Amino acid sequence: MSAARTLSMRDALYEAPGPRTRRRVRIGTAVSAVVVLLAIAAVVRQFWVTGQLAPRYWSLFLQWTTWRFLGQGLLGTVAVALTAGAIALVLGLVLMLGRTSGVRPLAALCRVVTDFFRGVPSLLLIYFFFFVPAQLGLKLPSFWMLTLPVALAASGVLAEVFRAGVNAVPRGQVEAALSIGLSRGKTMRKIVLPQAVRYVIPSLIAQLVVVVKDTTVAYVVSYPDLMQNARVLITSYDALVSLYLVIAVIYILINYAINKASVAVANRTGVKIVR
Amino acid sequence: MGLSELLSTYGEKYLQGLLATWSMTAVSFVFVMMLAVLVTVARVSPYRPLRVVGDLYVQVFRNIPGVALLIIIAYALPELRIVLDWRTCVIVTTILLGSAFGSENFMSGINTIGVGQIEAARSLGLTFTQIIRRVVIPQALRTTVLPMTNLLIAVMLTTALGSQVPLSPQELTGVVSYVNTRATGGILAFLVSALCYVGTAFVISLVGNRIDRKVRILR
Repeated sequence: MSAARTLSMRDALYEAPGPRTRRRVRIGTAVSAVVVLLAIAAVVRQFWVTGQLAPRYWSLFLQWTTWRFLGQGLLGTVAVALTAGAIALVLGLVLMLGRTSGVRPLAALCRVVTDFFRGVPSLLLIYFFFFVPAQLGLKLPSFWMLTLPVALAASGVLAEVFRAGVNAVPRGQVEAALSIGLSRGKTMRKIVLPQAVRYVIPSLIAQLVVVVKDTTVAYVVSYPDLMQNARVLITSYDALVSLYLVIAVIYILINYAINKASVAVANRTGVKIVR
Repeated sequence: MGLSELLSTYGEKYLQGLLATWSMTAVSFVFVMMLAVLVTVARVSPYRPLRVVGDLYVQVFRNIPGVALLIIIAYALPELRIVLDWRTCVIVTTILLGSAFGSENFMSGINTIGVGQIEAARSLGLTFTQIIRRVVIPQALRTTVLPMTNLLIAVMLTTALGSQVPLSPQELTGVVSYVNTRATGGILAFLVSALCYVGTAFVISLVGNRIDRKVRILR
């Protein structure tokens, strides 16, 4: 879905307006603008009357140390997200290959595993890695207590993304490859996968958003990510509202950038985003 | 701890958890749909400020992590003198997140219709409301059955955020962490909750697929 098409469809719904409609649209625009401004004013007023705009809540953002500490947290987030993303990439590919292998028991097993990780909230998986290894006497570092469940949750989704990519490769190519004597494995490796991966690159990038979101519960396993470091700052500065809002904006901007990158890659390579 | 012991001690907790997850999912999804329609209407309306706000809404709630939003609603809003009970906090979080994705589903449903059909309808003399009612909405609804089924499952998984606030009764994920802080529940304690989630998701997608096969438009 490209932005240009969205706009054209939006505009196609309306006829070229005559003078009367134009006036009506202008009035509607003015009214809605006033409503939006009033809503914003109400929010700002609520901040004002509850004293949340007081400088003591916001001055900490002028200090270099605040940003350095948040930056360290961000590095933690990035480390977890990239590691989990890499593991999920491999695991997702393996699950998809197993499912499309044609070996019945293996395919069934991979299907169950994929559906399981897709159908379970990542929080449950995080609690699993928080409680169970400890109960079995294993000492897992907090980094892996967070990274492994996030990776497992993502691998289920990625397996489906890869499968969509494989399905998008024209069937005739597989038949042609088999008919010139390539084995099943070779057909997959040399013909299908190179194209399938190219189809799904934008979707893979977009999935990174989900991984980043999942890492925000790092405080459950007390791993120092962006959110956890923000919580530390909140207890030392007693500035809850301002810090949580700034952190939320940072996360939104990161994920927005990832989504934009995904769309940009999709546009440049000319592939539609396969979901 | 064996399965029978686990279920005899905590069986009722799990049942309550399952019902809590189901009810929060159902309530959230109804509001998700209504809000998604409203946001989508704003995004295709001819009024620029509404379009901008609608687009901004979707970008914000599509990209904010669920935990961050829940924490803001549960812990930051009270400082602004807006106090909601825990259950409402979780439901509101789920609604805000879900409706952004729901609106995206509707938008891509609208986009699949194609400009040509609108132009054809107009040249037949259909009015704006007729175009919306007879051409756009029926097709947009049919193509969004499958994405909305996935959204319903996503909404269910989002209610697991309820484990981050003191809910009563707890939902499925909260029950597991409750059980594990009290006893060595082991893998089984997780498996019970996980199977409840997976089973529900399975039923939802089964029904969704059946509806989709019935109403799908073959192109």
